[in-house]
Amino acid sequence: MTELCDLSAADLAARIRAGDVSAVEALDSALARIAAVDGRPGALDSGDLTAEDAAKVHAFITLTEDRARAQAEAIDKKLAAGEIPGPLAGVPFTVKDIFVVEGTPSTAASRMLANFTAPYTATPVARLEAAGGVMLGKVNLDEFTYGSSNESSAFQPHPRNPWDPSRVVGGSSGGSAAAVAAGEGALSLGTDTAGSIRQPAAFCGVVGVKPTYGRVSRYGLIAFGSSLDCPGPIARDITDAALMLNAIAGPDARDATAATLPVPDYTAGLEDGVKGLRIGLSPDFFKITYYNHDTGEMEERPLPDDITAAVMQAADKLSDAGARIIENVPMPHTRYGIPAYFVISRVEAASNLHRFDGVKYGHRTAEKAADLRSMYRKTRAEAFGPQPKLRILMGMYVSAAQYSEQYYQRALKVRSLIRRDFDLAYDPNGTHKLDALLTPTTPTTAFPIGDVYGDSVLMQYADQLTVTADHAGIPGISLPGGLDAAGLPIGIQLLGPDFSEATLFRIGRTYEKETAAAAWRAARPKVLG
Amino acid sequence: MTQYEAIIGLETHIQLNTQTKIFCGCKADSWDDAPNTNICPVCSGLPGSLPVPNAAVVAKAVRLAKAMQADIQAESYFDRKNYFYPDLPKGYQITQYDKSIATGGHMDVPMPDGSTRRVGIHKLHMEEDAGKTRNEKGRRLIDFNRCGVPLIEMVTGPDLRSADEAAEYLIRLRQLLRWLDISEADMEKAHLRTDANVSIRVRGETHLNTKTEIKNVNSIESLRAAVEKEIARQIQAYEAGERIEAWTLDWDENAQTLRKMRSKETEADYRYFKDPDLLAVRLEPAWLEGVLADFPELPLARRARFIEQYGLPEYDANILTSERSLSDYFEAAAAAYAGDVKRVSNWMMNDVLKLLNERGLEAGQLKLRPEQLAEIIQLVDANTINTPTGKSLLEKVQDSGHSPQEIVAAEGLSQVSDSGALRELAEKIIASSPDNVEKYRAGKDSLIGWFVGQLMRESQGKADPNAARAILEELLKG
Ligand SMILES: [Zn+2]
Repeated sequence: MTELCDLSAADLAARIRAGDVSAVEALDSALARIAAVDGRPGALDSGDLTAEDAAKVHAFITLTEDRARAQAEAIDKKLAAGEIPGPLAGVPFTVKDIFVVEGTPSTAASRMLANFTAPYTATPVARLEAAGGVMLGKVNLDEFTYGSSNESSAFQPHPRNPWDPSRVVGGSSGGSAAAVAAGEGALSLGTDTAGSIRQPAAFCGVVGVKPTYGRVSRYGLIAFGSSLDCPGPIARDITDAALMLNAIAGPDARDATAATLPVPDYTAGLEDGVKGLRIGLSPDFFKITYYNHDTGEMEERPLPDDITAAVMQAADKLSDAGARIIENVPMPHTRYGIPAYFVISRVEAASNLHRFDGVKYGHRTAEKAADLRSMYRKTRAEAFGPQPKLRILMGMYVSAAQYSEQYYQRALKVRSLIRRDFDLAYDPNGTHKLDALLTPTTPTTAFPIGDVYGDSVLMQYADQLTVTADHAGIPGISLPGGLDAAGLPIGIQLLGPDFSEATLFRIGRTYEKETAAAAWRAARPKVLG
Repeated sequence: MTQYEAIIGLETHIQLNTQTKIFCGCKADSWDDAPNTNICPVCSGLPGSLPVPNAAVVAKAVRLAKAMQADIQAESYFDRKNYFYPDLPKGYQITQYDKSIATGGHMDVPMPDGSTRRVGIHKLHMEEDAGKTRNEKGRRLIDFNRCGVPLIEMVTGPDLRSADEAAEYLIRLRQLLRWLDISEADMEKAHLRTDANVSIRVRGETHLNTKTEIKNVNSIESLRAAVEKEIARQIQAYEAGERIEAWTLDWDENAQTLRKMRSKETEADYRYFKDPDLLAVRLEPAWLEGVLADFPELPLARRARFIEQYGLPEYDANILTSERSLSDYFEAAAAAYAGDVKRVSNWMMNDVLKLLNERGLEAGQLKLRPEQLAEIIQLVDANTINTPTGKSLLEKVQDSGHSPQEIVAAEGLSQVSDSGALRELAEKIIASSPDNVEKYRAGKDSLIGWFVGQLMRESQGKADPNAARAILEELLKG
């Protein structure tokens, strides 16, 4: 029998509303799953990894069981009183620990904020709760979101892939993707700066949505690259993701960059099919281009065959469903996405990290500091891990007055060229007139833990196919598209023009229906037995 | 002897009198608040918080830019100025750097000698204030209340030529800020903070020499004193053959001396970049029109017009335009009076100002309306009441809220000019003062004043003194 925690959010909410199950029962099911598969939560100075640890998911940093129970009971009480408690009534969800939630530790997976309890709640979290969602707790991530594997979290053990715990979950929203994949809450709130929602969603076999920049408020999201950061849903299927985006999207008087455009009902057109839609394939998304430090040249490498094949099969399925597949769409600036991202995100990150100075909150060195400057130095040296330090160093370097033109201003120009690639592809009066691009989400499936950690550059190339959407501000979705030879999930990605989330959901939902009977759909993550 | 001239530029930070701070909903004014009680996640820089610009700040910046005849920019940006300081909670200040709300501009400042100095504006931009740091018993105490208080930074060109000129600029700027309701401009509350850049050169030269920067001048008099001292010091140093170095100097108000804070270090690198948390400040034409729709005549223009249009002396025009509601009041009274404007000016400068000072009011707050002032002057002109009664009427109207006519009628204040009544009183006085009558008739003419005084007293001040005098003279001669 299917456990409640394995139901989709839509299904679970419907059953709770109908009175078939209670919100407390749904919560208990999720808590039981957490107890069974999650193992010990991430913590500072947590000692060596045990054999048992190596088999667990470790999605959580903080489980907020009491808070969740109070919320679930309140939902049940509302239902009993005949009130309508919102579209996500009683649905357990998790929150990437980069969002502040009043009264809970909000750590950013950093020693710097390990002792920080937020006095206010992030807008998207508040909206999920207002929609009836029940927050289970805060899940792990790369420190301050800086990474693509979650290995850089200061809270160890870091999350491990539910499909194969010797593999990474991806990142930085790795705890979110792992939790959803393992049934530890049907939904999770993540953030995407270069692919941080879509890449772990691909690695963990779930749906990840990076909405249009500004579609979801950033208020309460501890900033990485402020011009890139997008909160978004991680869910097990498209319908749930649409349901979640319904709850979190919309204008916010507390975020000046939040879009004021009205929010459509993303679930409304899900079953409308893809007839007549123009879906593009670009050769620039079927290779990865990287800088070879030995030769000083840009080099290209094709993607693994099973990833390419998965995308081509998806194109066939969508074509069968009535979409028009447009091949050879040029996206020539895709290759510059990572270098430009390195510069822009690090300038913003270094500045965003300035506030962590030991003065007001968070870590302050216990050592006696001779003066202010040495207090700053000791505090920051002790509490930032290597990833924040790398970003500070590079960010400070490339934004220095004498280098800013050469790096930062240039990266901004590259960014606008990347945006132009998309504008041309989607231009309704242009050559291609695309409704969406179909691409692989990642150049590989989940890599083994320890393989690339520390090699910051290589780790970042994991984001090459996702980062251009962040530069351009456009929406993108990663959804499961099969398994590779090792049985690991493959993600396929849909990218659309600004505010085209509803269209992307429609395409994704059509693909789900077209592949409903596929053998890989029946596979379950290894940790679920 | 060599003649020197001083080259002075002023950097002012103007605290705006908006209701709320520049990027959050906290109230802007924390003067009466205990430390760290007027703060929120945004202005105290908590992780995840975001700034949202306050349109009222932009509106005030636009109005100041217009007053300075600067080019108002349809699109401007907020930047981050990155540096570490404990009272800067985000580790960067949100300010405007290379694309500010306004460019260019100037202010024509009239000088006491009648000349006018055109002062160029080199910078005019919006920014947030930082908090306050206080050192106490070896501990550093930080108050974040002031974080996010809206400021306009305005920097002049090196266009002022003396300490007096610098002081005059600041006086006129303060007047303008209040006039436009941009700032309370209370220097004691640091609403208007000024740094002065000072250098000297031999008169006739055109190059600029090394300048020093004077910080911490908190009043117009300290600015004048500090700049004067610094000019004298530089001249002395120059004549002694010493090099003027680019020092930063601190004005010690108590000791009335300048202290060297530090030699100017190499320019810090603030790593400015556009704040990605804020969109461009775009001034929609309709919005801009609304903000500037009620843009008033400015004090210096009004001062010139008062001289020109009403023929007022410069002295009167200066005082009557010192504050906007006073000048509005004066014009309304002058219009209602419809006679010699100088007469209204005299009443304003002598009596209305006295009333304002005594009551601690601004003209706009008076219950005594300008038309009522005009009416009182007219009653005096018509000999309905005498001048002292008129003056006392000002207070009576202000206190009671009744009209002058009502009060005159109710209290029987009308001047007695009926000759029958006056004659009766005069006869009574003459009959009861035979000694003085005799002396007067013996040639002591000056005693007529005594007789008029007696009559005024008998009439409880209501007698028309001229008429009384005529009747007395007639009877005494008889
Ligand atoms: Zn505030």
